[in-house]
Amino acid sequence: MAKMNLAKAVKDFWYGKPHTAEEGGRRLGDLYEDKTGLLKHREWRGVKDTFYYMYNIWGYNYVHMVLDILKYSNNPIDFLKGTLRYRWMGQTYLPVIHWFERGLQGMRGEALAASAWHYRAMVSASIHQICNFFNADTRLHGGKQNNAYKHTFYANETTCGTLFYPWMDAGYQYIPMEMIPYFVTCHVNSHTVLNYIDAVQSLGLPGDPCPMCQAESGLFVLDDVPDSAPLIITCNEACDASVSTHTLQDWFANKPLFALPLPMQFDDPLVKKYCMNEIEECWKFIEEQTGVPFSWESMKKRLERQNKLQRDEWEKWEVASKTDYYPINGVAQALFRIYSTQYGIQGDFWEEASEKVKKIMYKCVEKKINPFPQTRHRVIAWSCAPLYYSNWCTWAYNCWGLNVIINMDSLMFDMEIRTDSYENMLEDMATYHMWAPMRRMAVGGMHHIFELWDYMKRFNCDMVAMYDQLQCKGMQGVHGLFEDEFRKRNINAFWMPHALPDCRTVSRAEIRRQINDYMTTVMHEEPLDPSLLDFDDSMTW
Amino acid sequence: MKKCKCKLGSKLGKFLLKFCGIFVALNAVLFIVFFFDLDGKLLFNVVEPFLKKHYDDMERKDVLKEPYDLDKFPKYKYDM
Repeated sequence: MAKMNLAKAVKDFWYGKPHTAEEGGRRLGDLYEDKTGLLKHREWRGVKDTFYYMYNIWGYNYVHMVLDILKYSNNPIDFLKGTLRYRWMGQTYLPVIHWFERGLQGMRGEALAASAWHYRAMVSASIHQICNFFNADTRLHGGKQNNAYKHTFYANETTCGTLFYPWMDAGYQYIPMEMIPYFVTCHVNSHTVLNYIDAVQSLGLPGDPCPMCQAESGLFVLDDVPDSAPLIITCNEACDASVSTHTLQDWFANKPLFALPLPMQFDDPLVKKYCMNEIEECWKFIEEQTGVPFSWESMKKRLERQNKLQRDEWEKWEVASKTDYYPINGVAQALFRIYSTQYGIQGDFWEEASEKVKKIMYKCVEKKINPFPQTRHRVIAWSCAPLYYSNWCTWAYNCWGLNVIINMDSLMFDMEIRTDSYENMLEDMATYHMWAPMRRMAVGGMHHIFELWDYMKRFNCDMVAMYDQLQCKGMQGVHGLFEDEFRKRNINAFWMPHALPDCRTVSRAEIRRQINDYMTTVMHEEPLDPSLLDFDDSMTW
Repeated sequence: MKKCKCKLGSKLGKFLLKFCGIFVALNAVLFIVFFFDLDGKLLFNVVEPFLKKHYDDMERKDVLKEPYDLDKFPKYKYDM
């Protein structure tokens, strides 16, 4: 007996404890400190993976965060000044390594390595944006409008970066105004955004519109948006609440502003024509403001790189849909994709990560390595995800064997943009612009929200994780239609209520409880790791 | 095998020994920080509360006092 125990202890030390409870499981839930979600200690993943994580992910990313600052910042002192000036910066980005931890918990081997490369690219892109903010910010430079300021465009975060490629050869850069101060913060540290939501409600504005719009306005109310660009391009994002956001932004930013709408009924050819005109008007506005003409060469060069990235993604999707060898977990897949398609080609971080991931993926294919061996259900996640709990997919795999193969956020820009002529490019640009986040498949009409069934088939999924953004009036309106379709098509689907960035409305524990209930009462399944069923992480980042 | 008795050899040996010792000690410290999530604990319990207080105490411009200058910039003419 003692010999057997010793052999098991040696095996557990070398390979890490096995996943399932039956095999004497790793009990990941026991690692958490109560409430804070901090770890009593990190998981022992076996010798190889523990040290891979320590050196190649934890250590590597700490070092590369510093190197990225040195690479992208004109003056690292500005970075420090910006950290002390802006809450979204200091409060959020210091615990970034813990964000990796939440997304990569329980991952082993190729899944650990490949998913971490997606995170690395996102961190690098974030530091790139932060440095661009601070290099140009007049507040950090004694009110001076320096060269970086004069070469920066501000745009709403759902206005795709692709639109600004024509000026990049001339040294211009695009900063999505809310992507770093709002969107990314919610994933990394969900405490920060609450200040901005409360700020806008403190003015007497109602609390029931989409909290995304509230938070984006709140950034301006708290005077927490850097002054880094002489002009702004806004859009209505996906909904009417955002229109109000941009009225407030127009007021508080006080800069020349062009409103570039995202049409609601975008399948209409006349609307598309209208959208193409709007895009050209936007380009004209930029030309007038900067005095620099549209450059086809600059546009084409970057679009070709973007198209290559899209083809890489299709290659990955092919493996994800037809085999069990796709090494990216649900959260790394979703965030990488939405982030890269919105920010566009502004550095080489997306391409570098994509190449590394493809290499790992083909190793899995060649050697028939299943990176998620405990998969019980192949899940497609649909609608808009809870930003404060985007790593629910990691928990769901560890606890229940629910492997999120693909999600709506990844599929929105499922297209290339033609570069053979200006006319074709403009037509595709219009489609790309209209397929904005939350627009195409969330509030983009029946045809598009029900693309779910096609994608479910294409990715060979047997279950749907249906996000239920409680404050999105558009998606609330189709709740019943989905229920009907799930019943009619006999599809296993569970609903995940949430309030996008606001973790106070529906807690993470409540989201887990809903999934646990579904898995026990409807699916009659036992958890792989029972220690993850119920734990208190109410104060976690 | 004959042991090298030259000064250079002994100095090099000592240096290598010292270097290995420092390398191992540094890695042991790093491992303790990593394994026990000490970086996370420091950031959560010390750095974040300090920064929060700093941001809470910061004086901010009252943006509501800014006039909404609708006519400040020339009207943009649509060519549609």
